[in-house]
Amino acid sequence: MKRFDLSWPTVVFLLGLVVFFAFFLFYPLWHAFVQSLFVDDKLTLTFYKLMFTSPVYQEAILNSFRLGMVTTLATTLLSLPLAFMLVRYEFPGKSLLNGLILVPMVLPPFVGAIGMKQMFARFGSINLLLLDIGLIDQPIDWFGGGGFLGVVILEVLHLYPIMYLNVAASLANIDPSLEEAARNMGSSGFKLFRTVTFPLMLPGYFAGAIIVFIWAFTDLGTPLIFNYRQVVAVEIFNAISDINENPMAYALVVFVIVLTIFFFYLSKALLGNRRYEMIARGHVASASRKASSGTTVLIYLCMLSLTGVAMLPHVSVFLTSISERWFMSVVPEAVTGKYYGMVFEHSMAFSSIKMSLMLSVFSTVLDVVLGVAIAYLLTRTRIPYKGVLDAVAMLPLALPGLVLAFGYLSGYSGTFLDARHYPVPLLVISYAVRRLPYMVRAAYAGFQQTSITLEEAAQNLGASRLRILLQITFPLIIANLVAGGILCFSFAMLEVSDSLILALKDEYYPITKAIYALLGRIADGPYLASAMGMFGMVLLIVSLFLAGRFLGRRMGELFRA
Amino acid sequence: MVGVTLENIGKRFDNVVALERINLTIKEGEFFFLLGPSGCGKTTLLRILAGFYTPESGRVLFGDRDVTHVPPHERNTGMVFQNYALWPHMTVWKNVEYGLVIRKISQQERDQRVRQALEMVQMAEYASRSPNQLSGGQQQRVALARALVIEPQVVLMDEPLSNLDARLRLEMREHIQDLQKKLGITMIYVTHDQKEALAMGDRVAVMQMGKVAQIGTPRDVYTRPATRFVADFIGEINLISGKVGETDGEICVSTALGNIRGLTGYEGIQKGDRVLCTVRPEALIFLEGAPAPDDNVISGQVRHVIYLGEVEQYSVELIDGTLIKVIVYDPSEQRARAGDSVRLRFRSDRVVVLRDEEDRNEAV
Repeated sequence: MKRFDLSWPTVVFLLGLVVFFAFFLFYPLWHAFVQSLFVDDKLTLTFYKLMFTSPVYQEAILNSFRLGMVTTLATTLLSLPLAFMLVRYEFPGKSLLNGLILVPMVLPPFVGAIGMKQMFARFGSINLLLLDIGLIDQPIDWFGGGGFLGVVILEVLHLYPIMYLNVAASLANIDPSLEEAARNMGSSGFKLFRTVTFPLMLPGYFAGAIIVFIWAFTDLGTPLIFNYRQVVAVEIFNAISDINENPMAYALVVFVIVLTIFFFYLSKALLGNRRYEMIARGHVASASRKASSGTTVLIYLCMLSLTGVAMLPHVSVFLTSISERWFMSVVPEAVTGKYYGMVFEHSMAFSSIKMSLMLSVFSTVLDVVLGVAIAYLLTRTRIPYKGVLDAVAMLPLALPGLVLAFGYLSGYSGTFLDARHYPVPLLVISYAVRRLPYMVRAAYAGFQQTSITLEEAAQNLGASRLRILLQITFPLIIANLVAGGILCFSFAMLEVSDSLILALKDEYYPITKAIYALLGRIADGPYLASAMGMFGMVLLIVSLFLAGRFLGRRMGELFRA
Repeated sequence: MVGVTLENIGKRFDNVVALERINLTIKEGEFFFLLGPSGCGKTTLLRILAGFYTPESGRVLFGDRDVTHVPPHERNTGMVFQNYALWPHMTVWKNVEYGLVIRKISQQERDQRVRQALEMVQMAEYASRSPNQLSGGQQQRVALARALVIEPQVVLMDEPLSNLDARLRLEMREHIQDLQKKLGITMIYVTHDQKEALAMGDRVAVMQMGKVAQIGTPRDVYTRPATRFVADFIGEINLISGKVGETDGEICVSTALGNIRGLTGYEGIQKGDRVLCTVRPEALIFLEGAPAPDDNVISGQVRHVIYLGEVEQYSVELIDGTLIKVIVYDPSEQRARAGDSVRLRFRSDRVVVLRDEEDRNEAV
């Protein structure tokens, strides 16, 4: 048997992939790296020195770190008990609650921030309500610390589902007999958790923690809304307008990249490549047990109150979107649907929806084609450097969108792809690259679950490779492909950092950028923006629901590292 | 070290009865086997002993102490899991040491006891390895050391050898048996492998569908099976049905093949009962010479002959159409060929007469 099977189409496609990734994944990063080291063609470390000496940047880096750490910590504290409740207990309505956890993800945190600001403002509904019933006599500054708390809350409410999915999966993957063995040895309670359960969960937990940390560290939209501007992401964003004069952004971008690599390296170094769940299982009883009715009530209370809090941004966005006027009153004084109408009348609002639709369709098509082909190569062929292809295709999962978008903008500045003139190609590509891992995973899972013998049976009966693919394989994995496609599409619709950075002309604004722009531009900004946010939200809910229908329980796998 | 008593244990999962009225007394220092096919409830029973399940009815006693509702971590049992359940994030040493740390044993004593335990299972040189770097047999030894080092009251073994290859299994069998005898510990061992139970056990409880079908020494359960199920499950058995004739002393059963005399264990046997005569294949002997009708002699025609080296197996179709198996040990020459008419004889003390349970089983 040959070591590799490389037909001509495979070789051509692989070469194409190499070129694609070189141009749209590595070159932009490399470009930022080079730019950060040279001034007037001379090698210099000035920017890096400045980054760590200038109080402004010191502050920004420190703030971003704090944001990342606090968010990671808070999501951990939320999701650990949650995972224990939902993995270890059986109770009626469990799958419903499981689905409920994902709900907060359907709103980009910065849109939620718009509504939350209304609600928690100095004279927002919450304070007014508390004043009314006499609980307080001074309005509380909810988002104290110059907006820090506000950003953290929004990040936590948005990101705890991701943490939960990782933690719950790693908990569910623990062989129950490992805990039983510890109990048999006399261990119980917190000691059991500390010495056996948690160490076994570490790989999964770490994967989730890294995603959450990097996400909070690099999120651009939320700090902008809360005007918490002294963070790395906003500094990079600000530098875009005067990139030629202020190359600090390059250094900051490189810093973020290095940081990301460092964390992934750290997790590898600390945990090796330990995959505990791979250990052979014997006869095991299910680790989950029936919850008593008291426990069930407790679980429901915890879950519903958490989801209730997590839904506050959504509710507030909704309330804002239907308010005639909402000022100095607990609930809007008058209700109106006019802002929904305005979405279709306001030129920027309407064109942004059309724009987003177009961009998302193109990027989804690109994702499906690339994702299916890559997954096919990974699961069904023997090609050289398979591990590398796998790693590269998954890389965007770890890469902050901010970094990639910035790399695109600066790296292709002055070429025919210059986003300043016509951002559509780069927007499509950046959306596609960022969501490619989801598509690859969805397709990969499909190929893997479909026994290769089904294909071999067809081959044995004389069907050609293409025929098998079209008549046997695709019909079997179509659910995965559709689900992956839906996810790519909906996330592209609500992509934030790429849109904010790459779309620089009104007529090319996608929804998210338009929301951001409308906020500051017109008096009705927050109301109109909220109405647009509602559109996005509904779209994402429907998409996730559809994707869930197709993927079933495997849905969660797409959001895990 | 304590004896273990199970009183009237019952357990159900949802609506499925897993165990029903289990009564067992396991003596101090005894090597006791729970034997049965998968789904018979033997693992459930073991997990009740470990405390992972609580029975719906009945009591579990360790010595005089009622432990029915004592949680697993307070029972001081040492369990060896089917998949070993070694913690992958700890070294071999740490795995074995864990139970001692929980028990707040001093560092010095820990070191000593862990070393002893590892030496006992011949794993001392692997102390710093991770479980993932060990072979199945080695993991098995570490799991054993981990269970023994805490000096448990009872050692519980859940099919510990089922994941090993055949040769290793034989080796570990002896090893475990030696350890059990040397340490004199009460050991309860779950298996579906009858050979394991026969080879190692002091006593065996054969289980069927959540009930104990028979308890006895290995020799007892093999030579004097109490039910058809036990006879069938342990070793191979030939069954000949008939009706009870005389019942004084030996039982005489009249069958389509002539009279068969045998022994019985069940009480209240009466003339006219429908019964099964069970005979082990190796108890059948080929008769040479001229035919003469006699009790305990049956005739038939050889259908297949399988030569296996140390034994030769014959399938013989009896005159009433039943197929029986005959095993000849040390077959230096072939006794008969396919198609030959043969006569077979067996001693009456090798025949166990059992109640024909077919009707009853259908009723259940």
